[in-house]
Amino acid sequence: MSADTPNGGSPGNNEPGNEKPNDPIPHFVSDEPFNADVEVVLTAEQEKYYMASQWKLMWWKLKRHKIAVAAGFFLIFLYLVAAFAEVFAPYELQHRDVRNVYAPPQAVHLFHEGKLVGPFVYGYNARRDPETLQKIYTVDTNKVHRIRFFCSGGYPGSEYEFWGLFKGDFHLFCPESRRAPVFLLGTDRLGRDMLSRIIYGSRISLSIGLIGIVLSFGLGIIIGGVAGFYGGWVDNGVQRLIEVLKSFPRLPLWMALSASLPAKWSPIVIYFGITLILAMLDWPSLARAVRSKLLSLREEDFAIAANLMGASTKRIIGRHLVPSFASHLIASASLAIPEMILGETALSFLGLGLRPPVTSWGVLLNEAQNIQVVVLYPWLMAPMIPVILTILAFNFLGDGLRDAADPYK
Amino acid sequence: MRLKYFAPAAAIVALTLLPSLASADFGQSPMLAAEVADGKLPPVDQRLPQPPRVIETGPGAYGGDLRIAMARSRDTRLMTVYGYARLVGYDSGYNLVPDILESFETVDDKVFTFKLRRGHKWSDGHPFTTEDFRYWWEDMANNPDLSPLGPPILLKVDGEVPNVEILDEHTIRFSWSKPNPFFLPALAGPRPPFIYRPAHYLKQFHKSYAAPEELATRIKKRRMRGWGPLHNSQDNLYDMDNPALPTLQPWFNTIRPPAQQFVFVRNPYFHRVDAAGNQLPYIDRVLMNISDGKLIPAKASAGEIDLQARNLFMSHFTFLKQSEKKEGFRTLLWDTSLGARIALYPNLHIADPGWRAIFRNRDFRHALSLAVDREEINEVIYFGLAQPANNTVLPQSPLFREEFQTKWAGFDLDRANALLDGIGLEKRDKDGVRLLPDGRRLEIVVETAGEETEQTDVLELIHDSWLDIGVKIFTRPSQREVFRNRVFAGETMMGVWFGVNNGIVTANMSPEEFVPTRQDQYQWPKWGQYFQTEGQAGDAIDMPAAQELFDLFRRWQSATSDAARTEIWERILQINADETFTIGVVCCTKQPVVVMNALRNVPDDAIYAWDPGAHFGIYLPDTFYFERP
Amino acid sequence: MFRYIVHRLLLMIPTLLAVSAIVFVIIQLPPGDYLETLIAEMASRGEAVDQNQIEALRRAYGLDKSPVEQYFSWLFGLLQGDFGWSFEHNRPVSELIGQRILLTFVVTFSTIAFIWIVSFVIGTYVATRQYSVSDHVATLIGYLGLATPNFLLALVLMYFANQWFDTSIGGIMDDKYRNAPWTLDKMLSVLEHLWIPVIVIGTSGTAGMIRRLRANLLDELQKQYVVTGRAKGLAPRKLLWKYPLRMALNPFIADIGSILPEVISGSAVVAVVLNLDITGRMLLDALRAQDMFLAGSFLMFLALLVVIGTLLSDLALAALDPRIRLSGGATR
Repeated sequence: MSADTPNGGSPGNNEPGNEKPNDPIPHFVSDEPFNADVEVVLTAEQEKYYMASQWKLMWWKLKRHKIAVAAGFFLIFLYLVAAFAEVFAPYELQHRDVRNVYAPPQAVHLFHEGKLVGPFVYGYNARRDPETLQKIYTVDTNKVHRIRFFCSGGYPGSEYEFWGLFKGDFHLFCPESRRAPVFLLGTDRLGRDMLSRIIYGSRISLSIGLIGIVLSFGLGIIIGGVAGFYGGWVDNGVQRLIEVLKSFPRLPLWMALSASLPAKWSPIVIYFGITLILAMLDWPSLARAVRSKLLSLREEDFAIAANLMGASTKRIIGRHLVPSFASHLIASASLAIPEMILGETALSFLGLGLRPPVTSWGVLLNEAQNIQVVVLYPWLMAPMIPVILTILAFNFLGDGLRDAADPYK
Repeated sequence: MRLKYFAPAAAIVALTLLPSLASADFGQSPMLAAEVADGKLPPVDQRLPQPPRVIETGPGAYGGDLRIAMARSRDTRLMTVYGYARLVGYDSGYNLVPDILESFETVDDKVFTFKLRRGHKWSDGHPFTTEDFRYWWEDMANNPDLSPLGPPILLKVDGEVPNVEILDEHTIRFSWSKPNPFFLPALAGPRPPFIYRPAHYLKQFHKSYAAPEELATRIKKRRMRGWGPLHNSQDNLYDMDNPALPTLQPWFNTIRPPAQQFVFVRNPYFHRVDAAGNQLPYIDRVLMNISDGKLIPAKASAGEIDLQARNLFMSHFTFLKQSEKKEGFRTLLWDTSLGARIALYPNLHIADPGWRAIFRNRDFRHALSLAVDREEINEVIYFGLAQPANNTVLPQSPLFREEFQTKWAGFDLDRANALLDGIGLEKRDKDGVRLLPDGRRLEIVVETAGEETEQTDVLELIHDSWLDIGVKIFTRPSQREVFRNRVFAGETMMGVWFGVNNGIVTANMSPEEFVPTRQDQYQWPKWGQYFQTEGQAGDAIDMPAAQELFDLFRRWQSATSDAARTEIWERILQINADETFTIGVVCCTKQPVVVMNALRNVPDDAIYAWDPGAHFGIYLPDTFYFERP
Repeated sequence: MFRYIVHRLLLMIPTLLAVSAIVFVIIQLPPGDYLETLIAEMASRGEAVDQNQIEALRRAYGLDKSPVEQYFSWLFGLLQGDFGWSFEHNRPVSELIGQRILLTFVVTFSTIAFIWIVSFVIGTYVATRQYSVSDHVATLIGYLGLATPNFLLALVLMYFANQWFDTSIGGIMDDKYRNAPWTLDKMLSVLEHLWIPVIVIGTSGTAGMIRRLRANLLDELQKQYVVTGRAKGLAPRKLLWKYPLRMALNPFIADIGSILPEVISGSAVVAVVLNLDITGRMLLDALRAQDMFLAGSFLMFLALLVVIGTLLSDLALAALDPRIRLSGGATR
């Protein structure tokens, strides 16, 4: 018979269509040598799947949750902006344009009188109403203020000190010149560009969440770990403590702690004080999660095995137990960060957290907290938007992470 | 008709006519008329003193509830300020006139004889006599349990207490051997020393008058630690926090704090009448709503307030104007009396010797002042409505001279730089910030009480122009008490606050604000404290210019003629202008006042000042009335 | 059941003791004390204060004893109903707190009712339509509520309420009813003002609730008995209502312990912005002025509210779920 079947084996006697009733059923016999060691040969793809580490599995599951992924990228973008705030913001933080106080936002146009000019905004004419003393801005379609990209210098407020370390003046986008300002989100009462302030404010607001989480994690893992691992009265004591702390309404406690920060401390120290305070009330839930996980996991085989093999307690906890629920921790973290951001915002809003000249979203919202702003200058409430978006993003990401955290489900 | 019958007949006729004549003379509010008809109150002619104080105003209209808003429960005290019933008060021309007193006489400012009005009664109907003064003087001011430090400092002239003589039920005399020119102005102030109290009410809390068991029960019930604290807690005529305490003000509080709304009801025994003899006040009740400070402009613009100035700032003006027509109120702009709306106070007592030398060098202060761009600040923050100025007297004062306002107050960076170069600060580091002789950067930490963004905003603007002369500042907002304590202790470098409280002064008013006399003068707190505590705390003056100011102050105290006082004042103001002890920024800002359209007798143009003026006080809110449609 | 109740009540005591200790520590943290503030104020008025007087005041207010002694005397006072003296307002703390408690209750429980109703409706709806468009939309709305800083929202809502409905600015009722007796009009006025804080505070709480209800309900819907019921021909709605929903109600009751603190703290900020008569504003002022008895008592009261709420929820849960009763509360 011809050996032209695809696998190189030999077919049975019969061709399809030529079967007779008692013939053996057509089947395929492989010519390959018998290999007793291999139960199942995995294809490359299958091998990738089964040998994948826990983290890879998590990532694949996460990828399916499209919104979470989008949120993740958004957050990375935000943190990039915060890190390079000086580049993304057209104006330096302290820059003021005293002729354009309380100027409304300018819309970006592409076409001027029918011709494509490139991105630009229209300038204003300003006059003060003599009766109400309000500065009235009217859009003047004759003033075309172009927007430049990847530019540097040429107008006041373009120079900055990157992270306070070295000077620079490169920006993502800038106005053309001093006489052609670009205020995409308007200006505040001293003529400072709101967009720039929001971008600079992101640095503080976003970092407080991160640093707070690190502190909270540290506390939570250590305390929860100890409780879960040792059990007994240590566990009981810690549980009581957690219950007590959880029964505290958060904000009043934050208020109380913030009120005790001496006002004469420098802003940096106060910043760290605030993060510490925010972290203080966050570690209980983390500790509780850590504790319950540890309690169940320490009975697992691998933990007992490690113990029998003589590993120290620290090693067991650190090397074996913690990584097995690290995914859950990450999911909790991503849900706790927005709490901290909101907390800082609320505290600064009440005047207990950071204060000008430090700029955070909370401080900006504090300045917007009165009825005049709602009625006359609503663009000053713009910092609300990045707050909402950040929190939404963290929540979606956290949901996705949590779903993905248990890839074996 | 036989003559011998004439006299008795006339007497009978006169006697019958007299009451009806008397009651025909005085009018009263319908609210009180109803109570008189019910027999709860005596008729108006028996409630008013003889003679009552006649205010040339009217006719008004009785009735109505005046709604005002305040930010704290404590602000019930403002009703004592607004009510402005004083022994002597200022009229709207800032002349001292007797108010509660029927008359007063002074001899060389050393002997003051006060005459009370006959038949003047407290708000509960009990007579107001010199017994109330005596009680205060002997049983309170000189009682070691109630006043461990003795009588208030205001009544002491160089430590000497007055000789208080009660001449009769309605006449009292205070005398010192040296002049006390502060006495009458203090009595006319917004927060006067109350040298009288309702003795009949307070005796129940006093150890010498109350039955011991009753007193003990009272102490226990209120959880006090002794009769002293008990008495002290109940006798505050200023605070208006005790509804049971009788008062002489036009309205009295009927709600015990704390509350969200306080109701002040008219005093049926109030001593003033209008030109037609109608008893004041016109308005029946004042409703004080306690609200968050930030919401008060919103409430005003929503038409929920009838009369408001406190907690309203120029930054609210546009917002208020927008709702005027819809809600039916008007927004007035009154002048203010602050010598400067905002001023910087370099702390002359700063502990560090390097800094102290610099701050005490007046060239340094001149340079700082020359580098403040007042025009820009005025334009950006005050709508261009204020005036660049030093922290000195205002144009409305007869003592004003342009030089006082503008000396060293221009904007001249070159001159400022030259001055600083000239005093040994020529060296600068790579950022352009000057260096002290010992190599430290010229960095000044400016602290504020943290209550107003206005102050931080101004400092932002100043920061840039001072950087141009090589001075870097850091703003540190704080809290009022912390801020004040640090200033008093000499720990701050520079503080920011309002300027002098009263810039509309005459030569007869005390120049104490321009002289080291008080601890809360942030440029020289320790010299002020030294004076206040009579040498027990603080530091003695150790700077020639300040010493000269103090000597002038002493001379003013014992001066006897207007000409002498004027000359002293001018010298004091000149020294202040020459030395630039404080750096004023702008003056003459306006105060928005919201007035409901139906409310009348509120002056359109006036001066909103604390002392003298008591905010609304000297314009007599008891003469405001609601016009009936 | 009785054993369970007793057990829980006994557990409450050490918790409360610990809470009181923490509160006390926190109150003492700021440097200085009220007396120093008072002295500064007296000095500013030109009343020089001498050392003797300060000492007398210090003794009178018990501030000269060691912190431990102060703590215990405060604690014993609390147990006897003596909440201490408010320096700032110059009257017993019990007088000050009392007025606010009623309104705090009203606001808190209205908000919780709001949270329940909204999350119940939305949670059931989306659980039965998992992954559909409405699921995503509803989740988004829930999260939006969570993410928006509620104080700013409160301000905006208050402004619009004033413009459209003529609701007066701030406060929990119209000014004119403040000292008036409780009439129908007054209650209506409270309702008119109440919806803003309730919505503002409640929206942040609904997100979590919806999530939990949805997750629980989904879990239940996968179970065997539901499949059986459907196979046997039960109408879907009846199927939903009769069994799984009852099980899924657990989180509503069990989570009061976590919702309550959230609501209370949310209300604290909103109270400041909207000028409500509840604990928030007074607490803030007391903390700033270092009026320690007042601040401490407020914090204790709030913590007590939470602890009692948790207790009640545990009891309700035990009543609902026999497993908890019988196993002595081991599911927590």
